[in-house]
Amino acid sequence: MVAEEKNNQASGINSNGVIVLKNLTKKFGEKLVLDDISLSIEKGKTTVIIGPSGCGKTVLLKHLIVLLRPTSGDVYLDQQRIDNLNEDELNQVRTRYGFLFQGGALFDSISVFENIIFPITQHYKITDWGEIDALVKNKLSMVGLDGFQNFYPAKLSGGEKKRVALARAIALNPELILYDEPTTGLDPIRSDVINELILKLQKELGITSVVVTHDMTSAYKIADRIIMLHKGKILADGDADYIRNHPHPVVQQFIHGQIDDEDLLILQSGETTSPSQFVSQNSKK
Amino acid sequence: MTVTNAINGLDNLGQFARFVFRSIAASVESCRKSATYPLIWAQMNIIGVHSVPIVMVTGAFVGMILAIQAYDQLAAFGAEEHLGVLINISVVKELGPVLAAVMLAGRIGGALTAELGTMKVTEQIDAIKSMGTDPVKYLVAPRVLACLLLTPFLIIFADLLGIIGGYFVSVIHLGINSRAYWTFSASGVELWDVAIGVIKGFFFGAAIAAISCYKGFTCKEGAHGVGQACTEAFVASFISILALDFALAVFFKAIYNTFWPIKALI
Ligand SMILES: Nc1ncnc2c1ncn2[C@@H]1O[C@H](COP(=O)(O)OP(=O)(O)O)[C@@H](O)[C@H]1O
Ligand SMILES: [Mg+2]
Repeated sequence: MVAEEKNNQASGINSNGVIVLKNLTKKFGEKLVLDDISLSIEKGKTTVIIGPSGCGKTVLLKHLIVLLRPTSGDVYLDQQRIDNLNEDELNQVRTRYGFLFQGGALFDSISVFENIIFPITQHYKITDWGEIDALVKNKLSMVGLDGFQNFYPAKLSGGEKKRVALARAIALNPELILYDEPTTGLDPIRSDVINELILKLQKELGITSVVVTHDMTSAYKIADRIIMLHKGKILADGDADYIRNHPHPVVQQFIHGQIDDEDLLILQSGETTSPSQFVSQNSKK
Repeated sequence: MTVTNAINGLDNLGQFARFVFRSIAASVESCRKSATYPLIWAQMNIIGVHSVPIVMVTGAFVGMILAIQAYDQLAAFGAEEHLGVLINISVVKELGPVLAAVMLAGRIGGALTAELGTMKVTEQIDAIKSMGTDPVKYLVAPRVLACLLLTPFLIIFADLLGIIGGYFVSVIHLGINSRAYWTFSASGVELWDVAIGVIKGFFFGAAIAAISCYKGFTCKEGAHGVGQACTEAFVASFISILALDFALAVFFKAIYNTFWPIKALI
C-alpha cells in the first residue's frame, strides 16, 4: 500500500507544475515538521491540503511562497528556483500570489478600506481614487461585506475578518492564491459562499489555488485534488473519490471525523465525576 | 550547556547584526524616497511629540535633585556659588542624555516591541511580506529614523528643564546669588559639553529603536512571548545605553585631548 502511494506521488511530480517542491524538509530546532515532501501544484487547478491540526499544513503553505525557507530541498515557481532568492527578489515574486492567513492577519491600526488598498499602494502610484473606491467596493462585495469600508478590524467578528482578509488577498488580482483554512470559523452558509468564490476565481480567471482546510464538505466541493498530510509526510494524494475510498485507516478516520480506537478506549475507561461528587469530596473554601 | 548557550548567544548576535545592517540600508533608502515620509512623520508624532512631557519631567527632577545633593558638599568648603557648574555640566553631559534615553527606552522601546511583537504573532508581518513589501522597510526604517532624529531633540528638552530645575532650587530654595550662579555656569560649561550630550542622542535613539524592533520581530508565540520580548528589549536597551555612553565618553575624551592643545591657535 505504501508502494502504491509512492507511485501515485511520483506521477504527481511532473516538473511543469506552477509550484514544485522537491524533497522539502523543514525542522524547527530539533522538531521535524515536514519530512522530505515532493509535490507539484498544477496550474489552474485547486489543490486541497487536509490533515489534523498541528501536522504542518500552514508550514507547508508558507513554503509555497517562501515565507519560510526549507531546511533542505527546493521550491520552484515556473521552473525557477525561488527558495534561494534574497528578500528583494522574493518581494517581486510574491506579488504574483495572494495569501489568506489563518487568522486573517489584518492590520489592526488601519481601516478595512486601507487594509484592502495596502498591496495596491505598495506597488502602484494611485492617481485615480474613484477607480480605487470602485475596486474596493467590488472586492468587498465578492466576500459579501460591501459597506464595511470604514470599519476597523477590532470591530469585526472572526469570520468577517477572514473575509476582509480574502478581499485583500485578491486585491492585486493574483494568479496564485494560497488559502489557510478559509472556512474555519464561518457558519455553513458563509462557508459555502467562500467555496463558490474559490470555484468562481478558478473557473473565470483560471487562478491556481492551494487550500488548507479540515472542512471536508468544502474540500470535496472545491478540490481537483486532495492531499492528506500526516506526520510530516504525504499520506494520500488523489481526487475526491480516491480520498473517499482510500483504504488507509488514518485517512478514513480523518475524513469521517472519527476518533482513534485507542484514544476512545482511554476516554471510555476513565471515570467521569459529576460536579456534585467533586464538591462533596473537596471541602469548599 | 554553557557551550550551547554561548553558541546561541553568538547566533543571536549575528542575527541582530544582520538585522541592523538591513535596517540601516532600508533607512538610507527611505530617506531618498519621499513616498515614505508620511510613515516617518507619523512615527515622529508618536515617538517624539508624545514623549516631550515625560522627558521634561525627568530633566527637571534631575536638575533639582543635583542641586539639593551637591549643595552641602560645596558649602562645606565655601564653594556653593560654583553649584551651577556642577549641576549644568552633569545635566548636559551625562544625566540629561542618559536618563532621557532610559525613559525613552521604557516608553518608546516598550511600545515598539509590543506593537511589532503583536504584529509578528498575529502573522501581520508575514502578511506584509506576502504582499511583496519588505517589513524592514515598511515598519523598521520609519521607526529607527524617527527615534534617531528625535532623541537628540528630546535630550535638549531634558537639558533645558534640568538647567531650569537646578536654577530654581539653587537660587530660590538654597538662596545662591543668581548672577554668580550663571557666571560660574557660563565659564564652566562649554558648547562642547552640550554638543556631546546631544550627539549621544543619535546613538541612543538608534540603539533603542533597533533593539526594540529586533525583539518585536523575533518575538515568540502568544501573550507571554510578547511580554517577554518587551522585558528583554528594555534590559538590552538599558545596557546598550550605558555601554554606548561609556564608549562615547572614551571616544570624545580622546578627541577633546587631541584638539584642546591647538584650540588656542584657532
Ligand atoms: N515558527 C515556528 N517555530 C517553531 N515551531 C513551529 C513554528 N511554526 C510552526 N511550528 C510547529 O510546526 C507544527 C505544525 O504547525 P502548523 O503548520 O501551524 O500546523 P497546522 O497543520 O495546524 O497548520 C506545530 O507543531 C507547530 O508547533
Ligand atoms: Mg494552520
